[in-house]
Amino acid sequence: MRRFSGRFRSSLIIGLQGIRARKTRTLLSMISLFLGVLAVVVVQAGASIAERALLADLELTAGYDGTRVMEVPTQQEAADLVTATVRGRTDAVAMLGVSGIVGEPGVQPINPGGSPIDQDWGPPMSCDESGCVPVGGPKGEAVEVRLTALTGDVRQFRPFRQESGTWLNFTTVPALAPRLVLNLEAAKAFERHHVPAEMRVGGATNNVTPQFTGVVDDGDQQPRAYVRLDELTAWLPTSRLADPNTGGELRLMMVEGSPVEQVVASKLKALGNEPYAFTVESRKEQEKTLTLMRLVFFAMAGLVLLIGVAGILNVGLATVGERVEEFALRRAVGTPRFLLAGIVLVETLLTGLFTAAAAIGAGVAGLKVVSMVVGNSEPLLRNVQFPWEAGVAGIIAGLVAGVLGGFIPALRAAGIPIATVMRA
Amino acid sequence: MTAPLIELAGITKVLKGQEQPRTILDGVGLTVHAGESVAIVGRSGSGKSTLLSVLGLFDRPDSGSYRLEDQEIARLPERRAARLRSSHFGFVFQRFFLLKHLTSAQNVAMALVNGQGWLPRRQRRNRVMEALDQVGIAHLAKNRPAKMSGGEQQRVAIARALVRDPKVLLADEPTGALDTETGTLVIDALLAATERGCGLILVTHDRDHAARMGRTHDLVNGVLNERVAAR
Repeated sequence: MRRFSGRFRSSLIIGLQGIRARKTRTLLSMISLFLGVLAVVVVQAGASIAERALLADLELTAGYDGTRVMEVPTQQEAADLVTATVRGRTDAVAMLGVSGIVGEPGVQPINPGGSPIDQDWGPPMSCDESGCVPVGGPKGEAVEVRLTALTGDVRQFRPFRQESGTWLNFTTVPALAPRLVLNLEAAKAFERHHVPAEMRVGGATNNVTPQFTGVVDDGDQQPRAYVRLDELTAWLPTSRLADPNTGGELRLMMVEGSPVEQVVASKLKALGNEPYAFTVESRKEQEKTLTLMRLVFFAMAGLVLLIGVAGILNVGLATVGERVEEFALRRAVGTPRFLLAGIVLVETLLTGLFTAAAAIGAGVAGLKVVSMVVGNSEPLLRNVQFPWEAGVAGIIAGLVAGVLGGFIPALRAAGIPIATVMRA
Repeated sequence: MTAPLIELAGITKVLKGQEQPRTILDGVGLTVHAGESVAIVGRSGSGKSTLLSVLGLFDRPDSGSYRLEDQEIARLPERRAARLRSSHFGFVFQRFFLLKHLTSAQNVAMALVNGQGWLPRRQRRNRVMEALDQVGIAHLAKNRPAKMSGGEQQRVAIARALVRDPKVLLADEPTGALDTETGTLVIDALLAATERGCGLILVTHDRDHAARMGRTHDLVNGVLNERVAAR
């Protein structure tokens, strides 16, 4: 071990001396390798950023892989049936959606139809059995949100990120003033429009005053608010939450193998309702696509890297040719053959590492510039951090290029006969 | 009397790869004791450098026996040969073979930073300065070869050969590129090492320098003969 350490340190000292003595050559090798390593860094950075952004939001919106989801066609009786079946259970959560307007009484919302607040989806409509008609009334300070009533904590299936405040507590006595947790878009709307909070929900017996308790990131672009079902049903019959005329939604999220699925499906069938059930595999599918794309880009980056390796190899062979006397002399003073090979490899490895450091630096700076220039229009690139995986990929690429580019010169150096010195 | 430092017997070396194999060394025998100095003289192409290659373990003889401190080393594997070159031998060449990008001290330290054991920086520096001091150029430790005269460069090369306290110094025409006066200084430095018990084998064309050695051998057509009247 001690001998190995001595040899390693010897090769490091001699390698550094060699690099210092041939700065221009080292720089040329670095230039030829730079683009290749940078390509690897950029591909890995791009892939990591895309993966982080896409996969993180994917789980927020679609749920964890392996979650069973049952989409139930909206039907008033179905809502009662589903909520009655899952009440008190922890392996399944029902999500019932309805539209709600929070704000000044008797005015049109600033985002009719519950559109994202910076988008215009047209005039507000009122729908019933006979169809939909535009709603009249003056425009005012009110925000339309999708109201999602929950029978339990849905975060076991969809990992909402808590941004502020607290999430819904399902263990306490239901409040008469429904407690709402907003998503980011809804929070943005209420930040811009500080309104007297009266909530209008179609079919409710009265308009109620809600309490905002927290904000989560649920990956949804539409303003949405989450509420305990039992707090909402104090003012609104459950059946109204799945009214097809008011754009109701009914969804069940369950753990794989939960008996709820079979029971609910059988009961719904008896009502003539055909639910659609599936297992969430979005992450797996997205990862497959991303892996394929990453492989294609890495193959291209690898080609660029190979050109850099050829550059190091070329410079390395020329340098060994010039240093024949030095290597023979080193052997004459007792340096073993493999240490000579080690010296050449250390030089190319250090060259690869220096290049990797430069490429990573360029990557970090480039990402910062891109984030500053297009971050406002492209949320994916806003305040984005340089992924550590790209740094590791750059270092690995530099080391691999160093080994590949230095291997043949190292063998040549190790094979130089000492007699060369004697006859010189 | 103690066992000889070096004992060659019946060493032959045939140069192959040509139309006619050529015998370079033909049954060479040589004995050198610690502190002894031996000159080997001969015409160009007589096999002096080949003999030095065999002695310095750069090359293996085709046949014969080579004993170093009573150990047979004629056919050592390369790894052990490298270890012996580091621990037992010091080499001085006609062309000094100093690395121009290194200072004198770094050139001397090259023999210490060779993967055969590790010395901490301070000990390394002490050994290097001691070796440079032995040849009288400690004040040039930070100079690069380009800023030194031929004699100074050769003395750096001698310091490099001495820095590991070798048992044998092998010098291949070390004064060949120097004027007479500087050459004499270099031979003085080499002979000073023999006073510390180091064996010296000097290959030279210069009869005056050869005459200063304890013994002189003539190498003629691959055969080594001691010059009886040399001393």
